[in-house]
Amino acid sequence: MNYAADNQNLITNVYKNSAPAVSLSPTVMEKLKILTDAAKYDVACTSSGVDRGGDGTGIGNAKSCGICHTFAADGRCVSLLKILFTNECVFNCSYCQNNCTNDIPRATFTPEEICTLTIEFYRRNYIEGLFLSSGIIESPTYTMGLIYQAIYKLRTFYRFQGYIHVKAIPGADPVLIEKVGFLADRMSVNLELPTSDALKKLAPCKSRRTILTPMRQIQNGITENKNELMLYRKAPKFVPAGQSTQMIIGATPENDFQIMSVAEGLYQKFGLKRVFYSAFINVNQNPGLPALSSPPPLLREHRLYQADWLLRYYHFTVDELLSEDKPNFNIYLDPKCDWALRHLEYFPVEIGTADYKTLLRVPGIGAKSAKRIVKARRGSTLDFPDLKKIGVVLKRALYFITCSGRMMYPTKLDEDYICRSLLNDSSQIPREIREQGYRQLSLFDDVSFAAPGGNPLRCRERS
Amino acid sequence: MYVFQCENSLDGILTGVYDAWDSRLGHKNIQLSSDSCGEILLFHEYITVIPDLEKSQKVSRTLICRLGISFFEVICKCAMADGNCRKLTMDKANAVYQAIVMALALPEGAKVLEYLAEPCISCIFELCRQTNNEAHYMIEFLRFAELENGVLFSMIHPKNNVLPIVAEHFTDRFPLENFLLYDATHQIAAVHKASKHYMIVDAKDLNLDIINRYSQEEQEYRKLWKTFFETIAIEERINSKLQSHNIPKRYWRDTVELKSKLTRH
Repeated sequence: MNYAADNQNLITNVYKNSAPAVSLSPTVMEKLKILTDAAKYDVACTSSGVDRGGDGTGIGNAKSCGICHTFAADGRCVSLLKILFTNECVFNCSYCQNNCTNDIPRATFTPEEICTLTIEFYRRNYIEGLFLSSGIIESPTYTMGLIYQAIYKLRTFYRFQGYIHVKAIPGADPVLIEKVGFLADRMSVNLELPTSDALKKLAPCKSRRTILTPMRQIQNGITENKNELMLYRKAPKFVPAGQSTQMIIGATPENDFQIMSVAEGLYQKFGLKRVFYSAFINVNQNPGLPALSSPPPLLREHRLYQADWLLRYYHFTVDELLSEDKPNFNIYLDPKCDWALRHLEYFPVEIGTADYKTLLRVPGIGAKSAKRIVKARRGSTLDFPDLKKIGVVLKRALYFITCSGRMMYPTKLDEDYICRSLLNDSSQIPREIREQGYRQLSLFDDVSFAAPGGNPLRCRERS
Repeated sequence: MYVFQCENSLDGILTGVYDAWDSRLGHKNIQLSSDSCGEILLFHEYITVIPDLEKSQKVSRTLICRLGISFFEVICKCAMADGNCRKLTMDKANAVYQAIVMALALPEGAKVLEYLAEPCISCIFELCRQTNNEAHYMIEFLRFAELENGVLFSMIHPKNNVLPIVAEHFTDRFPLENFLLYDATHQIAAVHKASKHYMIVDAKDLNLDIINRYSQEEQEYRKLWKTFFETIAIEERINSKLQSHNIPKRYWRDTVELKSKLTRH
């Protein structure tokens, strides 16, 4: 197959006839493979948070619920064209495969190539937009400049109105970060590791300060922009889908309590939209890090996401879920069930009268079903079959609720009894534990436990 | 009991609602049915409803004006739903009729949609959810191919009649493209001409040869996409169960990247 010739076709594509300013080696195909492979460990692939109709003069729109276009063999959602601009990185972070000391194939896209790929994939409904990150080529500012060129071209020349997520490169010129912010929908700066000590050890070229500076800048930009938009509706929008970050889980010895506290701090003090957690995989066989043979801590990652949801949508605080004495999540039970079992004094909850926030605390009742319950009970009295239709997971909720003063069937409001009953139903036990035969385990928290396989990382919810 | 048998379409059901109302037989004595081959019951009188655009539009206008546009949208989405689902306890047309009767009797009629403990409302909720979910799946998983003449073509196989919702989405998204969305289940197509609004047309005689005449670049982009798709997965996390939970197998055949992975029988 003559890729060079095909490549020529690609770049001088019919969509817009602009001349390519690229050398043709390696081919776009090779670059795409290298730079996708280099980007795959980045977790954030959501396309949510902004609603924008097309303006009729270009291509694209955005839906705030986010749209996943396919799911890879690992079950993770593919929503955006997730690539690095370059993997020719000058940094030597020991957890990262693009570490400058690694002997791997290197490549760099041109802005034109990125635009063509994005537009052509987007037209075919393969993707929802672009996720552009990068290794550090020459300097952070130089790298950010290249990223800016690419998305500027995409937004103005191609009039692309789909979703764009851009990484802010720590240490880059703030002026460039601001310019990018007016073109992108979401920006993120990776926190990489939960504590600054861990960061110093594993990523000597990065520091907490250089990471938090752009994060603060983007936060302030968003706040200012909101005020501006209040005065003048048509003011250009700055990072309208908000800012996110990610942490690597399991490379360093922090416990869940520390990690969740950091996340809570980020939500409260930096106004982040999302914090992502990424189960550590030792790609570099670095002897100072957990071994390559040990599987990634996926159950732990799953529990952290569940708790993260509780913080953002269920009005929980980290102190309610974990403490210094109990610093890690339970492997058998999700954080909400675990909390409920330790706080039986709040239960049972009467479906007919409990307020929205109380309903949210019941295991098996989610934010959507709680809202539906509050509305539906105005029409008529709700009974258990109605709750099932509304979407309540009765096999979890039944121990904690009453309808018109009645429980679904007689149960004891007792921690051991409920816990045993819940775990009797094997579908309520995480797959990892089921497959390993959980009776043999002696340690019950998610840090001491590692298992094969994965757990869902959902980035969109269905009604 | 009188049973009004109507055609399984929005116009059919709304005409049924009109005729049932107009018959003055008393709401309690009336049922609607959109299922023409259902069993015939004793002591039931069956009345066939002939779809009538004028009657259906009268009902639409009343619904929009008295109950609001979002109530009407919900009714439309119910009518689009397939309706053959074990979860449902009621016929689709009957649920629509009962809900309308209930809503028009209340001062804040549109609120009835929230009263999920009512059998007809929970049925409407379920139908609406079916339509919405499948429309969302289509928007996520359908793929366009560029034909020789630059037109984007896509074939879908939805259970529910979701083409209008999907076409609306892509009209906003690709205003400058010419595209053709073909619903092979219902044999209808949405045709969009650049800068115009889309049209739904009968596609029984669609010439399927055109879909094999791709543009020069089409195969190249498919290869690039497959490469991206294969590369993005993390080997240490492979989980095919989770994958087919998130993208149900019945949608694989219309994608580029998963089609070849379907095991053939």
